[in-house]
Amino acid sequence: MQGIIRTIRDGSGFDILLLGLALLYLIIFSAFPIVYNIIMSLQTVDMFTLTSFNRPFVGLQNYYDIFSQPVAGTIFWNTVKFVFLSIVFQLSIGFGLALFFQQDFPGASYLRGLFLAGWIMPALVVGAIWKWLFAGDFGVINYALTSLGIADDRIFWLSDPNVALYAVIIANIWLGIPFNMILLSVGLASIPRDVYEAAELDGAGAFERFRSITLPLMRAQLGAVISLGVIFTLQQFDLIAALTQGGPADSSNVAQYWSWQFSFQTYEISLGSAVSVLMIIFVIVVAAVYVRSTRHEHSY
Amino acid sequence: MKRYVLLIIGLAMTAIYLFPLYWMYLTALKSSTEIFQYPPTFWPSDTQWNFLEVWKSRDMGRYIWNSLLIATGVTILATTLGTGCAYVLSRVRNVWIEIALFAILMMQVLPSSLMVTPIFVMFNQIGLLASPRIAVILAQTAKVLPLYIVLCRATFVQVPRELEEAALVDGSSRIGAFFHIMLPLARNGILVTSVLIFLQSFGEYVYARSLIAKNELQTATVGLQTFMGPNANDWNGIMTYAAIYVTPILIVFMLLQRRIVSGLTAGALK
Repeated sequence: MQGIIRTIRDGSGFDILLLGLALLYLIIFSAFPIVYNIIMSLQTVDMFTLTSFNRPFVGLQNYYDIFSQPVAGTIFWNTVKFVFLSIVFQLSIGFGLALFFQQDFPGASYLRGLFLAGWIMPALVVGAIWKWLFAGDFGVINYALTSLGIADDRIFWLSDPNVALYAVIIANIWLGIPFNMILLSVGLASIPRDVYEAAELDGAGAFERFRSITLPLMRAQLGAVISLGVIFTLQQFDLIAALTQGGPADSSNVAQYWSWQFSFQTYEISLGSAVSVLMIIFVIVVAAVYVRSTRHEHSY
Repeated sequence: MKRYVLLIIGLAMTAIYLFPLYWMYLTALKSSTEIFQYPPTFWPSDTQWNFLEVWKSRDMGRYIWNSLLIATGVTILATTLGTGCAYVLSRVRNVWIEIALFAILMMQVLPSSLMVTPIFVMFNQIGLLASPRIAVILAQTAKVLPLYIVLCRATFVQVPRELEEAALVDGSSRIGAFFHIMLPLARNGILVTSVLIFLQSFGEYVYARSLIAKNELQTATVGLQTFMGPNANDWNGIMTYAAIYVTPILIVFMLLQRRIVSGLTAGALK
């Protein structure tokens, strides 16, 4: 007994205790739910068997059921579009802004900081604001588009099945720009000034400098930002809940929202877990690639 | 000269980006007839101050109180569990620590909307849903704890090893050195990271929506969502609600902006 107290006070027991507490918590509330999720996705779980510990196993039936849903294809492509378009625009706009604010002018870093306001706000509030900006009859976006002559008529952003997904994507791009910009700014700041100066002396133009210095030196950073972008885009739920709730008729629904709908709206919990298992595996694979690449970066 | 042209372009881009925020405050200040004017006005002609009415009629005090309670609980739990763990991860280096760090980084990316299904069933079976706010605190802590550990570890890495070793040579115990040397030196990083996870939890939505059944225990996000309803047209009130809710968040953020940014970037890329 005395030995245990001494090692906790003064030896490696101290390390093990501190590490163990946090890890135990994460095992109970993160790792175990994942395992439990996989088990549930192989069972029948609904309102009747919710509290039972002895549910019938059905093998891969739930996975078969999700893929045979008529909307499965739509939701799959929506998710791909949602992730792909969000990242392309977040990254290019974020990169453009990072390059712009890298230049030397008064207030540059202060203005850059203001962009982060969009990132710190609860996504549900951001969704509420965009819902009002997108409003069909009185929305300011429609006003701007029609008065600038870009659109002939009002667009019903959130109720037209052809555009609802893009409305959600636009709002998500707005949310993601600050994070991309800040991470890329850090990378840009770490490129030594004299590399550019040397290139300039050699007669390289601004575009040439960007292509042959900035892009290659930012490769690791860009990779990290893209993988984080995939992860964060797949976490996006609040925005969809506030804007369209997946509608109209699943036209803006994505996998992470679909999973939640199964579990909490139609109570087909085992189907919800099956979608959730597939998505979690995907997210973890992306994260593993990202973490491996950044740790590799550090080792040399 | 060129610098001022850049400044003007920079101001214009910031203004365009922050336009949604401006629109929120503007709509909150407009009268309920003015918001439905077309073309819309870009400055309120008849300013309304209905913050107090919205606060009362939507029972915002209770919602905000629940959000504060949950955010405080999450912050206390995550800092208690995470600080020590971050310290050990920054000091000890071996294969097991590498594996633990890798596992923690992986758990950081799990989306709440996917984790909520097993957590709901599990909490339901062990009866935790009877105290739903505690259930949300436990679930949300699991969500933010890995991020807290990663960011805090970056702070501890910066504290020189020698200071701790000197204390140990002087006869201090490990616990003493941790509390009297390491914690005070890492104080700023710990504080900023705690504020960050506090703000995140203050805006939490998925767990609150899914685990809390009673309306009087709900958080401000869910309150806003109910206010928006399927056929909402009180945009005036909704934007007032949103403005009341986010203004304190924005103020805290502006005060700590520089530190949050540096802490965040250090954590995300290391």
